[in-house]
Amino acid sequence: MKKTFRVRDMECPNCAMHLEGLEDELLGVKRISASYKKQVMEVEFDETKLSVEEIIAAANAIGYHLESVSP
Amino acid sequence: MDLILAFITGLTTGGLGCLAVQGGLLASSLAYQIEQDMLAHSGAGSSQKFKPHIAQPIFLFLLAKLIAYTILGFLLGALGSVFQITPLMRAILYFVIGIFMLGNGLRMLNVHPIFRYFVIEPPSSLTRFIRRKSKNGASLVTPLFLGTLTIFLPCGVTQAIMAVALGAGSPLQGAAIMFAFILGTTPIFFSVSYFATRLGATIEKYFTRIVAVTLLILGLVSVDSGLNLAGSPLSFSSMISSLAYSDPVIHPTSEGFSIEVNENGYTPVIMHLPAEKPVSLEWVTHDSQSCARSIVIPGIDYQKILPTTGRVTLDIPAQKKATILRYTCSMGMYPSQLVFDLD
Repeated sequence: MKKTFRVRDMECPNCAMHLEGLEDELLGVKRISASYKKQVMEVEFDETKLSVEEIIAAANAIGYHLESVSP
Repeated sequence: MDLILAFITGLTTGGLGCLAVQGGLLASSLAYQIEQDMLAHSGAGSSQKFKPHIAQPIFLFLLAKLIAYTILGFLLGALGSVFQITPLMRAILYFVIGIFMLGNGLRMLNVHPIFRYFVIEPPSSLTRFIRRKSKNGASLVTPLFLGTLTIFLPCGVTQAIMAVALGAGSPLQGAAIMFAFILGTTPIFFSVSYFATRLGATIEKYFTRIVAVTLLILGLVSVDSGLNLAGSPLSFSSMISSLAYSDPVIHPTSEGFSIEVNENGYTPVIMHLPAEKPVSLEWVTHDSQSCARSIVIPGIDYQKILPTTGRVTLDIPAQKKATILRYTCSMGMYPSQLVFDLD
């Protein structure tokens, strides 16, 4: 499953890398691609192992607030 | 040239002189690290004192610079006089880097989302690779990249040393000269940037803004230098010098046409010369150590590094009446004019 989130509090270029670092921490994530310019984060994940809520909570834990923009 | 002399030159005049022109790139390197540290600090709560981890990016920036210049010295020694960046190439580079710094300064001040486009975002595949190689991936790459870029922004003293490396006769000797010189500039670069930034940590709240404003100032200086080097009358410093020196009119003396090259630029700033006939002009240096010694006149494609002390003649072909040839030092500083309006 692929999902796009808007991240309005990505304040610097390193934030994108910070968010992409979740790729190594969340079980079930295949790929995370974040863009500081576009203020979005795309997550490709296995929905049998991980839920959207868990992704949002994980991002929240490192200081970012995700808003869903695609189903 | 003695390697110790190259080192001492770097340690003294080279360090501070080059910091003025390359400080912008160093500030850009630190900006990313400071932003990241600010973010981590705000996430951790405000009970701890904010201390940006700037020693590593400064070290990496200087290391990349040292390696890049050593390689450049090697190439200069090997290629002899073939390799030369033209003033126009340098002007464009200054201009582009200036715009880059201005854009990043405005981005850090959150002026408008459009300024986010001044950030060069590497593809995710690359950041993934870097991240897995190092936990501080981006902060490693940026100073390394920007440190390498400094070879395109050599200050006057560096250019003089580059000329020495060029004539060294062997790649290894060229590399050794540049290595010794850049190593000499390192203590000043490190201490000024490190302590300047630590001082900022005491006023944490405004720190990002201070970095942003510094970027804006250095960006304007860089754009100004680029415009000067391209011979544009539209640079701020050129306009100021035109206004400041428009009166009184300075005419050449009976001794001929000569311009004094000193620590603060050129005297007179505006030189009036005869039009419609060839003119012989003499540059006079008296123990001149500043970048004014490295002259660029874009209008006649002239660039010359003058001896520290001496006289160098420039033969200018006949110019039409009211022609203005603008010139600066190779860093785009001290904008001055040759005005062909005498009969």
